[in-house]
Amino acid sequence: MLRELWRARSLVRMLARQDFFVRYRRATFGVLWAVALPLVQAGVLALVLSTFVRFELPIPFVVFVYAGTSIWSFFNSGVAAGSTAIADGRDLSTKIYFPRAALPLVRSASNAYSLVISMLALLGLCLVTGTGLGVEVVLLVPAFLLALVLTSAFGLVFGALHVYFRDVRYIVTAALLAWFYATPVFYPLSFLEENHAGLATALSANPVSGVVVLSQAAVGMTGTGLVAPVLWTIGWSLGLLVVALVLYARFDRVFVDLL
Amino acid sequence: MNSRPVIDVKRVNKRYVKYEDAPLLLSVLQPWGRSQRGELWALRDISFTVNAGETVGVIGQNGSGKSTLLRLLGGVTAPSSGRVRVSGRIAPLISVGVGFNPELTGRENVYVNGTILGLSRREIDARFDEIVDFAEVEDFIDTPVKFYSSGMFVRLGFAVAVRADPKVLLVDEVLAVGDAGFQIKCLQHLDEIRKRGTTVFLVSHNLNAVRNLCARTIVLQHGEMHHDGNTNDAISLYHDLLEKAGGESHVDDTDEWVARLERLDLLGPDGKPTGHVDHTDEVTLELEVTFLRTTDDVILGVGVLNQSGALVYGDSTPWTGMGRFKAGQTVRFEVRFRPDLASGSYAAQVALRNLSAAPLFPAPRPLLFYVGGRPLVMGATDLHAEFVAHRDGRAVTVTRKDPERGSVA
Repeated sequence: MLRELWRARSLVRMLARQDFFVRYRRATFGVLWAVALPLVQAGVLALVLSTFVRFELPIPFVVFVYAGTSIWSFFNSGVAAGSTAIADGRDLSTKIYFPRAALPLVRSASNAYSLVISMLALLGLCLVTGTGLGVEVVLLVPAFLLALVLTSAFGLVFGALHVYFRDVRYIVTAALLAWFYATPVFYPLSFLEENHAGLATALSANPVSGVVVLSQAAVGMTGTGLVAPVLWTIGWSLGLLVVALVLYARFDRVFVDLL
Repeated sequence: MNSRPVIDVKRVNKRYVKYEDAPLLLSVLQPWGRSQRGELWALRDISFTVNAGETVGVIGQNGSGKSTLLRLLGGVTAPSSGRVRVSGRIAPLISVGVGFNPELTGRENVYVNGTILGLSRREIDARFDEIVDFAEVEDFIDTPVKFYSSGMFVRLGFAVAVRADPKVLLVDEVLAVGDAGFQIKCLQHLDEIRKRGTTVFLVSHNLNAVRNLCARTIVLQHGEMHHDGNTNDAISLYHDLLEKAGGESHVDDTDEWVARLERLDLLGPDGKPTGHVDHTDEVTLELEVTFLRTTDDVILGVGVLNQSGALVYGDSTPWTGMGRFKAGQTVRFEVRFRPDLASGSYAAQVALRNLSAAPLFPAPRPLLFYVGGRPLVMGATDLHAEFVAHRDGRAVTVTRKDPERGSVA
């Protein structure tokens, strides 16, 4: 099955590109929207939160938050889209065979275009706010790759489950709402480590935390331990990929009958 | 040609489990609540092989398992038991334009669709001009396909699929769309690629297309294979099955009616009931009617409808002339005619009416029959056109020899 999936890589690439560009084709500002939405989210969060709390950060708060929201919105939309990918792919998959795992992968791959643009915008924001960038900016690369793998893994597993239990998409939507607050996007994990050590340990086990702290570190955020959350992220990704492998090996040609 | 069959289907069963569409909340409460499931056998014990270059038609009523068979051949779904083996690249034309995105231009869709069919980018590049040329969409190739007419859409989809040089081409009802000119072009092209060794699998309600393209035809009914062989026999059998499936439709409360229809048959030239006649045949609609009340002056009418439900021919006896029928009398009527029509499926209806046009017995189910018309003749009827060319000062009538058709290869 992995060999078939590898052979279908050009299909995934083609469909992902199509999916991404079609999404913004009719909008006047086009691809800018891919940047605008997480930027607005970051702006609002920064504005609102800075009136309540003050974290001691080495970088502007809005840069810190945007480093997190860009990752989060990628994860959020990738997982949500991935979980319905197989059910939505009915038109195509009832007509021709290709490894069904391609469908959730297309969704996360097409969102990856947005993530790249978001990350470039993050760098732009750093310039605008006068945040100095050091060598640590290369951490964006592992952040991007980990985000892609993690999101794909979740999308694959939820996508398969959703075929059987059509409630999965709603459960996922609800879970993502809560999940956001359990992710160190608008508060630094280091802040929790100082004040609520137990909570910090729990949150670093959050699979998204590792990617978020990497992204934050890339723009100069210091004082947060990277190793534990990143290892958690890698662990989650690998575990989910194994689950996905089992699911798709078993159900690849059965999904269609349930659509 | 290769002696190994291209398609090998062995003792295939396909069972679908039907889930009730449970409401959301309920399925949350009992996610394992599969107790209300039913089973549906879409295919039972199907076996056949197809060699390279063969064109096989599949006919059957809705729900007979045709689409399931195509899905199995396309590898979209797996059989519940048995084995399906297809060698080589398969291009499905199961409703053309698989994966066409309306927002994308024709050019982009050709690439996406080609990739779905398993072509590499270079292979598509090499075929691109040919595809556009065949589809006749040069001027619109950079227009989003949502602005395409349905004909253009179908043409482009068809062009990509046939130019993918598949080993097996699965065709499902695509020829129903597109204008006559393109249909002919498609049929010619299917014939051409068949000669190059491509196996064509044609699933259709369009018996003409099946008859013109396929020497061999499989008839499916309720998931079982009733016939695998000569196409003419298949079409006859298909009509028989249609007849039987309709069931008897006599209404019991005969008090209302003046007469009762005992029997209605279409007889071929040999006097035997048939569902498949030739346009030169003398055929007879025979009906037996028992009169329940004494009646004067009845009108016997007949109507022939084509597949689209349009009346092709309607006729009746004059107002008077039949005389009186006594209660209890059984009368046999014959309506003889020559079905000089274009190839296709037709339905014959008969009615006995009184002078105020009220029917004497409940309308019976229409009799379905297939007419094998003259080749190349299309449309509702055969007007026996003569083609004359005036050239070099003289008129030349272009006659054509009607070839023997539907022969088994």
